[in-house]
Amino acid sequence: MMSSIQKRAEYRSLFKHNVRGRLIVDKIAMGIVLACVVIAIIPLGSILVEVFKNGLAALSIEFLTQVPGAIGTGQGGIGPAIQGTLIIIGMSSLIGIPIGVMSGIFLSEFGDNRLGRTVRFFNDVFMEFPSIVLGIFAFLTIVLLLGHFSLWAGAFALSLIMFPIVARTTEESLKLVPLTYREAGLALGLRQWVVTFRIVLSAAKNGMITGILLAVARISGETAPLIMTVLGSSQFFAGFDSPMDALPLRVWRLSLLPYDSAQLQGWGAACVLIMIILAINIGVRYYFATKSSFRGKLLYRIMGGKKQ
Amino acid sequence: MTRLIDPSIKKLSGMMSEMGELATQSIMLAIDSYLYGKNTANQVHQISNEISKRYFEVADLTFDIFLKYQPVADDFRLIRSSIEISYGFSRFGRYAYDIASVREVFGDITECDKSWLIEVSDKVKTMIKDSVLYFAELDIRKSVAMQENEEFVDKLYKQRLPMLINSKDTKCALAEALVLRYLERIADHALFMSDAINYIVTGKHKLPKQL
Amino acid sequence: MTAVMNVQNAEERPADERKYKMIAENVSVYYGGIHTVKNITMKFKEKSVTSLIGPSGCGKTTFLRCLNRMHDMTKNARVEGKILLDGEDLYSKDVDPIYHRRKVGMVFQKPNPFPTMSIYDNVAAGLRLNGVRDKKILDEIVEDSLKMAYLWDEVKGDLKKPAMELSGGQQQRVCIARALAIQPEVLLMDEPASALDPIATQKIEETILELAKEFTIIIVTHNMQQAVRVSDYTAFMYLGNLVEFNETKKIFTQPQNELTAKYVQGQFG
Repeated sequence: MMSSIQKRAEYRSLFKHNVRGRLIVDKIAMGIVLACVVIAIIPLGSILVEVFKNGLAALSIEFLTQVPGAIGTGQGGIGPAIQGTLIIIGMSSLIGIPIGVMSGIFLSEFGDNRLGRTVRFFNDVFMEFPSIVLGIFAFLTIVLLLGHFSLWAGAFALSLIMFPIVARTTEESLKLVPLTYREAGLALGLRQWVVTFRIVLSAAKNGMITGILLAVARISGETAPLIMTVLGSSQFFAGFDSPMDALPLRVWRLSLLPYDSAQLQGWGAACVLIMIILAINIGVRYYFATKSSFRGKLLYRIMGGKKQ
Repeated sequence: MTRLIDPSIKKLSGMMSEMGELATQSIMLAIDSYLYGKNTANQVHQISNEISKRYFEVADLTFDIFLKYQPVADDFRLIRSSIEISYGFSRFGRYAYDIASVREVFGDITECDKSWLIEVSDKVKTMIKDSVLYFAELDIRKSVAMQENEEFVDKLYKQRLPMLINSKDTKCALAEALVLRYLERIADHALFMSDAINYIVTGKHKLPKQL
Repeated sequence: MTAVMNVQNAEERPADERKYKMIAENVSVYYGGIHTVKNITMKFKEKSVTSLIGPSGCGKTTFLRCLNRMHDMTKNARVEGKILLDGEDLYSKDVDPIYHRRKVGMVFQKPNPFPTMSIYDNVAAGLRLNGVRDKKILDEIVEDSLKMAYLWDEVKGDLKKPAMELSGGQQQRVCIARALAIQPEVLLMDEPASALDPIATQKIEETILELAKEFTIIIVTHNMQQAVRVSDYTAFMYLGNLVEFNETKKIFTQPQNELTAKYVQGQFG
């Protein structure tokens, strides 16, 4: 034996013995942590409460489907804005998601070299560009090129915001898939791209979807780039080449007007925007939850629960 | 690096050496009892029991080692042969006792012709000492000597027996026949043990004809 | 437990009429310039089990992975030498590694069934993703593979169950079935039972002995009793070198090399 029994007793006596004191400290620390959580949630909660409190009153069939009425009257609605937001989310996703996913795949599977490091660096920098700068860039390239504001320009700007986020989260999700599954795939005589797309990607599904949904939620609320690219309008969809309204734009415009009715409509628009984002999230998660092989409670899976 | 199995192997070797010593002792005593008329039957009997006791202990220990350590290579061969070797020693003890009993049963036989017996006994004493040494040193040259000695003993035994059939003195003839028989058996077992020790060294079961 | 009785002992199988299925000639592996596997030549007979033993870091897994060109996906790894499968060199320029990986299957140390797939999908993965579509054939092969892996009886009731819901031993047998489904000729196993409990280990060993009637199996193992139970031939490697290669019985009762004797008796490692 290395130390004798007495020595061990000596060593034991060195430990702190103030168990009660340490329990109290533990409780205090826990309390501080919880307090911080509450402080963080309060603003979020109060925002939601405010928006719904003020906005629900404005909702009606007319509100949701009509074009905006004359300024100052309480008539009309935000129909074009809703349509515009949906269209532009769709277009940006069509461009941004594939590019982002492909970049993510490249960075994760083949990016362990100088080129990869460079791309990753620029990706991270790009992610933090102010969105108004991207809006101006889109303005200078697409709008000036085509000669008018359009949905193309808006989709372009938003996809620029989208794809770095998607690329990053895709890369991280793919990296979380253990090497051993890739090896197993290769050992079966499968080609590299089959392994990546059919095996690794499906294992990384959950993380990637979270990333994509985050990106979608982000762009749904971007206003500055839209100002410079789709401009806004009071009409329903008039072609990809024309300016179009969108909810963030409409909220902004309505909030600047001094009329109460406009303010009310603004709240309503904000309310609708939040509901759309929520709906997209739940919808996508529901779709993948029902397809997944993990058989747990549906609500648990939608909220991102994993198999224990 | 001491392994878990080492203390057990050491214990095993120790027990085997003890058995060897005891076996040698018992046979010396037994042969002397016949040659010089001393009645040592009880002593030899005691020693033979000691050897038997150790034989069972060795058996237990060997299987214990197999169960716990699953030995391979040198360890495996050693332990495998230990069973046969310890049996050999226990047989030595047993035959020693048999020889000592002859003296006891037949009474004093010092007047009989002992020339043949002396020759055979000497060879057998050598063989026993050799077998213990062979186990201790694992020197394979001893196995050749063992083979030769056993053949020698066998030859003498086969020569002497017919002579005894026509002998006039029944008591002497019977006693000598019995003792020769036991000595021949001891030599046989010594050879058997030497084969087992060969296995430890070479991994082969049969003694090679030429070495 | 019953299958133990039916398993044929290695010594009863026809010994040396067997040809060499796979030959590794002067194989060396360099990891970033360091010579980790040093010039190894080994021959593997068909329908036999060969085990690779040796202390950690001796290069046995590295060598094993050369046999199906897994080092192609490792950075900084360079392989020299020839690996002949039925006479054809796997490392020659005009051989497609993908094609040969289908002939040489691999089972890994930690069971790794594809996490998002069911048992059926896992076993069929190699087939489906290699272009086999016919459902009837897939069903046949899946059943055959699971039977060979001694798993069919346990899972035939619910093949759609996610593979991750099985126990460790069952998962490993799914991986074995998956490797067998692509009809390989040689099966490489990297410590296939080391992550499993004793009963599961027993089942895997039974599987190996049964498979050895048809396939050439090469297995890396740390467990020497497993090597004795399961393999016909054993190769002992140390510090990247092949120290001794012989019939298993001989290596474990009368090793020719002193280093081998020391290792198998646990005097180092």
